Amino acid sequence: MRAASVQRVKRRVLREAVAENLDVIRGAPPRAVRTGNRLARIWLRRAPYLLLPLALGAYLSRGGDAEIGGAAAASAAVLGRTDLERPRAAAAPLEITTTSIERVTSAAFPLAVRRVVLDAGHGGSDPGATAANVAEKAITLDINHRLRSLLQRDGFEVVSTRADDRTIALRDRARLANDSGSDIFVSIHVNAITKHTASRGIETYYLGPTSDPKLTQLAAAENSVSGYSLGDMRKLLDGVYADARRDESHELASTVQQQLFTTLRASDSGLENWGVKRAPFIVLVATDMPAVLAEVGCLSNAQEAAMLARPEYRQKIADALFHGIRAYASANDGPKKKGIANHG
Amino acid sequence: MADILHVGIDLGTSRSAISASNGERFVVDSFVGWPLDMVARKVLKRDVLIGHEAVSNRTMLDLHRPLERGLLKEGSEKDVEAVRELLKHLLRLVGVNGKTDAQSVRAVVGVPAAALRTNKQYLRNSMKGIVDSLLIVSEPFAVAYGLDALLHTMIIDIGAGTTDFCVMKGRYPTEEDQRTLTVAGDSIDTQLLKLIEERYPNANVTVFMVRDWKEKHSFVGNPKSPIVVTAPVKGVPTSIDITSEMRTACETILPPVVETMIDLLARVEPEFQERVRTNIILSGGGGLIRGLSDALEAALKGVGGGKVRSMEDPVFIGSDGGLALAIDAPEGDWEKLTA
Repeated sequence: MRAASVQRVKRRVLREAVAENLDVIRGAPPRAVRTGNRLARIWLRRAPYLLLPLALGAYLSRGGDAEIGGAAAASAAVLGRTDLERPRAAAAPLEITTTSIERVTSAAFPLAVRRVVLDAGHGGSDPGATAANVAEKAITLDINHRLRSLLQRDGFEVVSTRADDRTIALRDRARLANDSGSDIFVSIHVNAITKHTASRGIETYYLGPTSDPKLTQLAAAENSVSGYSLGDMRKLLDGVYADARRDESHELASTVQQQLFTTLRASDSGLENWGVKRAPFIVLVATDMPAVLAEVGCLSNAQEAAMLARPEYRQKIADALFHGIRAYASANDGPKKKGIANHG
Repeated sequence: MADILHVGIDLGTSRSAISASNGERFVVDSFVGWPLDMVARKVLKRDVLIGHEAVSNRTMLDLHRPLERGLLKEGSEKDVEAVRELLKHLLRLVGVNGKTDAQSVRAVVGVPAAALRTNKQYLRNSMKGIVDSLLIVSEPFAVAYGLDALLHTMIIDIGAGTTDFCVMKGRYPTEEDQRTLTVAGDSIDTQLLKLIEERYPNANVTVFMVRDWKEKHSFVGNPKSPIVVTAPVKGVPTSIDITSEMRTACETILPPVVETMIDLLARVEPEFQERVRTNIILSGGGGLIRGLSDALEAALKGVGGGKVRSMEDPVFIGSDGGLALAIDAPEGDWEKLTA
């Protein structure tokens, strides 16, 4: 670089460094995770579903013989390509009365679940929890493959964050999920509770604050490879917790947890239901769609570690996850009857 | 007499360096210790000891290394106090409240690339009353700025707590341009200590001894000569050969560093990848590991080849870069960045 251009670049990077510092002083979250941006993206993505019914409503109100014109039609036409990628339900005109965009959930739109991101936890240099001859990364990948087949056979599109044994940073998993335009995100993990090796159970997480020190510890362990500390996230997430997708994530977590527990309890009467919990795992924080993290077993328990090593048991887990996702998708397929705005 | 003193500070897990606009430069071990009891206080004749002095007298001290993985440990008041003492000490060394009449201190502090806003906010709060204005930047960015390496360059800064990667694209690096690994000097020390203890179970070796040995003899690849050090074995000073342990421990950082380097390179726009590949700069204490740049170049052969340069004197690269930033930042910006 010539001296003049070096000076120009220096001035620019300095200006940007100062701007970032001023953001920190003001307490603004990073641009990448600002709720406003996220909501703007959500709105942009959902615009076709809003504009199309509005345009049709306008068309119908004009007696059905007028041509759709103006900006709404143009937007619908331009955005129509996106619209085609997702199933379109009956285009009934919707009355949007909300005063706060944070209250609007997909319940306001005729969304269906068609594309699912599967995230096999850990991988590559990060084995996750380990027991004799079994590593969490191998179990989660195997379940990912099995679940993928089940979902594809049922007509879902599936995106996997990893298809083999490789290290993928948590932020890259989230980025892949967001870029794929998927409808839900399911992260598959296996627990290890070394202090209580006698216990074994199933639990499913969705994004939310937790005051439970054990969950804080667990999230810290799962997030450790990201370079983020939990302290960072606590402040960062104040805005994100109010995100529209929290209720949807809770619903997804509930159906997944219910299916996992009822299915797997049949194979193991000692299995405990540890329920649906909230915790700030990074993959849940950084994804834009309803997202859950399922701890499908417990490697620290010798009996369960042995079961997890068996393909037929892993198939049961995949079946249970499939039925959980299926149940959530069915409940969310088509326009919601309960109305426009969710007051969550 | 200067009314304003600009300083660049590389706040490191193991060592912290300061470069000041009055020409002074110092580096200290990032250790702070308080005498354990009245007896220790009487012997040491000091309320607080910092740096090498603290390490040397550690048996009499409540010793703190306040920065973990390059960041201030949250929630520990003692560590906050320790980092404040460390910063005050660094500033005293360059003459603040001492021989210069600086009225106002403007500091640029480097932190790990992946430090989030809350880390920075926490550091900012901890520095209240110590400096007048504060700009916090990612450490590899400070290095790049100091070297004028702002375009098509990758900085790999291997410190004690973290290894920071940053691709400079002519803009202030975003999260996408940077990575932080916790595989760094400390993880080599831990590994080396473990390997030596396995091979010489009767030798009495501490992490401080291991760190000294690593700093003198670290290498990857082929050894130049056998590494023989002295350690007490059952109380008797004995020579032990740690050549293979040193190599194994140092080489543990290679796979994650190579993987991250190549991953970041793959994200550079294709037409610029070659320029970045041939412009990789190794800084930080880990950059002095003998054979490391060759090993990284060997790994780059698989993706088209590249050039990795080690900085000969990496100790002040970060703080000098910080100082350059501090001097270049416009007056108006400093007024907005009051600590």
